Amino acid sequence: MNTLKKGLLLLTVFFLFYGGTLAASSGPSEVLKPTLEGMIDAIRDPALAGSDHKEARRQKVMTIAARGFDFTEMSKRALGKTWRKLNQDQRHHFESLFTKLLENAYIGKLEGYSGQKIIYKDERIKGKKAAVATVVESTDTAPFTVSYVMLNNGGNWQVYDLNIEGVSFLRNYREQFKSILRKDKFAGLVKVLEEKNATFETESSQ
Amino acid sequence: MRRFTYSFILFALLFVLCGPIGCAQKSNSAPVQNVEVEKDMEPVDALDELLDDDFFDDESVSEEVYYDPLEPMNRVFFEVNDKLYYWVLNPLNAGYSAVLPWDVRFSIGNFVNNLAVPIRLVNNLLQLKLKDAGIELSRFLINSTLGVYGFGDPAFLEFGLEPKPEDFGQTLGYWGIGEGLYLCLPVVGPSNVRDLVGFTADVYTHPMVYYVKEFSVSASYYVVSRVNLLSLNPDVYEDLKKYSLDPYVSMRQVYLEYRRKRINDNTMQLRSDNEL
Repeated sequence: MNTLKKGLLLLTVFFLFYGGTLAASSGPSEVLKPTLEGMIDAIRDPALAGSDHKEARRQKVMTIAARGFDFTEMSKRALGKTWRKLNQDQRHHFESLFTKLLENAYIGKLEGYSGQKIIYKDERIKGKKAAVATVVESTDTAPFTVSYVMLNNGGNWQVYDLNIEGVSFLRNYREQFKSILRKDKFAGLVKVLEEKNATFETESSQ
Repeated sequence: MRRFTYSFILFALLFVLCGPIGCAQKSNSAPVQNVEVEKDMEPVDALDELLDDDFFDDESVSEEVYYDPLEPMNRVFFEVNDKLYYWVLNPLNAGYSAVLPWDVRFSIGNFVNNLAVPIRLVNNLLQLKLKDAGIELSRFLINSTLGVYGFGDPAFLEFGLEPKPEDFGQTLGYWGIGEGLYLCLPVVGPSNVRDLVGFTADVYTHPMVYYVKEFSVSASYYVVSRVNLLSLNPDVYEDLKKYSLDPYVSMRQVYLEYRRKRINDNTMQLRSDNEL
């Protein structure tokens, strides 16, 4: 009887411990970390350096990003109620344009940084959502806080918003989209996005 | 007596312009940023607020935009500032940065910050943040002496005392004054009625007003400090323009959220660090 009790206790302890580590290994920070590290490693990979390898480098970075970032959720939230009126093709088209803009803007910016260190400060989970607070220390600028807001997509935590020093990146685009949609509707927004992405193409070919 | 008249006019202006607008905003549907908090789940810090910010989850998301009835005029001034940036500020900065090495510019930045201590000190006091006010006072004493007139920042480097930036706009926000309408001002840049009043009050908290009589000297000081700031963060405006589809809206949104965060942080900080 005593051994049985002991065994049960051991088993419970084991499961508690094991369950604990299981949960911890798939927590938001644990999912975010390899994504960001993978992206930075790909950007700094000497084999992919220089403008000759831009295409390959970007592709690698975006493949890693696609696992950790939910671009569909971003597009949906950035468009708000307009998203519901779009058909599947329009949604796909918009998502690819928006993703391209983010790639141009943020991967381009990361490529410019020489040294950067991300320090994980805090993590909070509430239902299907989580927030991870980080501080970015860079040799080029003063340290700044970046918080990642994440969504649990069937057991996988994915980022849908970045909050830099209190400023939401997604809401910023949302307000811009809203202002454009009010005047020029969805077709106008698509045109502006295409034109914006084209400016990055001409810039990089120079 | 003259100063009294000034402050009286300032406050009268403030209450006429901000008060009713602030109230009007509240009585309408809640502003986008206003987070609905359940009683048992009060957010303790900024991270909690992020999780409570359901700006798409709900079908009835409020689609309210920032109160900007002067948008046409603001956009004109935005363009003016844009031209000022590319035609004046940027060329000035190019020359300035070429002549002065980064270390020197950084020290000038320290000096400018040190002279502005009275603003931060007074506004920390006005928000009853005694600890932060003490830190600002210590920073001033340390940096003005050990830091050689404020050109160095030993208070941070040696003593780990970080600056506690507060201005009168934040103080007004802290005491519940609404933002009022959004303003994009020539030269000054993004602001709102409350922060414009704050900015004006801060001018009178700055020692410059009391020690320098010539307008040309104050104006040059302002230009140099502005160019110096740009030289230390050269990419900010150009990045904003590069990454946004409508830079005017983007800047307005950044300004709104950044100021609100600065003001909200106060209450959170107050709870943790500044309890009396």
